[in-house]
Amino acid sequence: MNTLVDTARGTKTPPVPTPSARRRGVRLRGPRMALYALLIAGALEALVPVLWILSGSLQSAEQLYKGTDPIPRPFEWGNFATAWNEGGFSQYLPNSLLYTAASVVGILVIASMAGYALARIEFPGRGAVVGAILVIMIIPLPASFIAQYKLLITLGLANTRIGYILVLIAGGLPISILIMRGFFASQPKELEEAAAIDGASLLGTFWRIILPLARPGLVAVAVIQAMGVWNEYLMGLVLFSDSSLMPVQRGLTNFVSAESPQQQILLAASLIAVLPIVVFYAIAQRHIISGLSAGALK
Amino acid sequence: MRRRSRMLAAGVFLAPALAMIAMFTVVPFVQGILLSFQSWDGVSLDAPYVGLANYRFVMHDTEFWGSMKNAVVFGVVGLFVANAVSIVMALAVHRARRGAAFFRTVYYLPGVFSTVVVGVMFAWFLDPKIGVVNQALKAVGLDGLQHNWLGDPKTALIAVAVVFVWYHWGFGFILFLAGRQDVPQELYEAASLDGAGGWAQFRYVTWPGMSHVTGIVSVLTLLSGLQIFGTVQVLTNGGPAGHTEVPTLDIYQQAFQFSEYGRAAAMSVIFGVCLIVLACVQLWVSRRLGGSTDSRAEKGS
Repeated sequence: MNTLVDTARGTKTPPVPTPSARRRGVRLRGPRMALYALLIAGALEALVPVLWILSGSLQSAEQLYKGTDPIPRPFEWGNFATAWNEGGFSQYLPNSLLYTAASVVGILVIASMAGYALARIEFPGRGAVVGAILVIMIIPLPASFIAQYKLLITLGLANTRIGYILVLIAGGLPISILIMRGFFASQPKELEEAAAIDGASLLGTFWRIILPLARPGLVAVAVIQAMGVWNEYLMGLVLFSDSSLMPVQRGLTNFVSAESPQQQILLAASLIAVLPIVVFYAIAQRHIISGLSAGALK
Repeated sequence: MRRRSRMLAAGVFLAPALAMIAMFTVVPFVQGILLSFQSWDGVSLDAPYVGLANYRFVMHDTEFWGSMKNAVVFGVVGLFVANAVSIVMALAVHRARRGAAFFRTVYYLPGVFSTVVVGVMFAWFLDPKIGVVNQALKAVGLDGLQHNWLGDPKTALIAVAVVFVWYHWGFGFILFLAGRQDVPQELYEAASLDGAGGWAQFRYVTWPGMSHVTGIVSVLTLLSGLQIFGTVQVLTNGGPAGHTEVPTLDIYQQAFQFSEYGRAAAMSVIFGVCLIVLACVQLWVSRRLGGSTDSRAEKGS
């Protein structure tokens, strides 16, 4: 830690031509190299397992079984086709796309309305509602998933698409409401006030003025929730018995527990299960930091 | 009148959210408590009340309490190991002049993977015969260290904990990085004018400036460690002989393998109450620790 802070101070200090400063400049090379050694080590630690699974998914069964050669010879692109066909991804992938799109849209609409009310409309009991949402956020899924399952059976919604989507929306709401509330609270009020003076209704103002301006907040919520929903596993496991309705993570475990598929096919299947969300992450990742910090830190 | 229209507007805007949360989070939570006093097989329409029988069973269920102990291990590993890595790497990336965006993206990448995929990946890496870990040990002549990492009761829990840290530290990293960026630069300038060295700056500026982030991240990582599910299910399914069993998995198995939904609900209640109490205690502690330092940081800026 010491060296890191030192390094920064060194870089911020303008070069002063004194012997001590010159000595410091020389001394700083070590810490800066140590800093980058640490950063690169971290990158390798994160990336090597990912590259390794990619390599494994492209190897032949013999090569995979034999050893540590990381370069697939030859590249077995067919593993992905096999995984796709045997793993039933032509069912699971569209299911997950539907669940993700539907629940993210639901969360965005409901959470932005609630977040707006909690940030902007003054009404008695507002603080209590915010407090209640915070408390509900603490209710852990393991404390309620058995009962959620029973409730959905009672409602006739177990093993249905709509039941799963409703559970996903409800689960994503508390944090999303708090993120949107933080976002609206940080926005200037003038435009809404102008709209109100012009006679626009509250709902009209919300749809035509507030929401378009809230795009950065909405994008951040959408990115975080899309990743959460795509990777959701426990409720997908509990709620579905009909495999034609299952989301992709659940479908993947079906494939894992099926009579021992070959390892390289399993690896290819895993990559198919995460590839859409990894691509999405690569495109949208700069919005994650703003969303997480807006929602979680305020 | 104006007040009434504001109430109405607030009601309209909040109704969908409150209805959804009430229906699918609060009602099940309460129903779960009721279910823990019932005996339900998951199929029949009626679930007779059995009083404290489920709780009595769980009290003597050594596997459940073993799983609680393992949850504590994952919680502590998340809280101390993953967070230590997170904060060091966040401060390092904040210092980096080149490649900060690259490192930020790469460090969070494992967190984008699903728990199931992380399980599949590491089950392969740790496989006793074809796993890269053992293959690598053999390649460098350390055959003696080859091991059935997930199959040996002595190493299984450690191996899963390592996988958990690999998967999870990027999450804290992102939040710590955001928190570090919010610490005002002037504080560092003032501190260095006062002659504070690197360690003193960390101790008196960075650490207190990030205390609220530390509080939130601690709660979140502790909770996610305690609630670990998918990775464990795929890697070991709680084995060997329950050595990596965790409460969420135990509850799932009790319900969906043994059709003992009442017992599963009782476990859920016990586990859930522990989680809620822990989260509240931790938030309270971090508020208290953070409160004084926060006001100091505000005065400073």
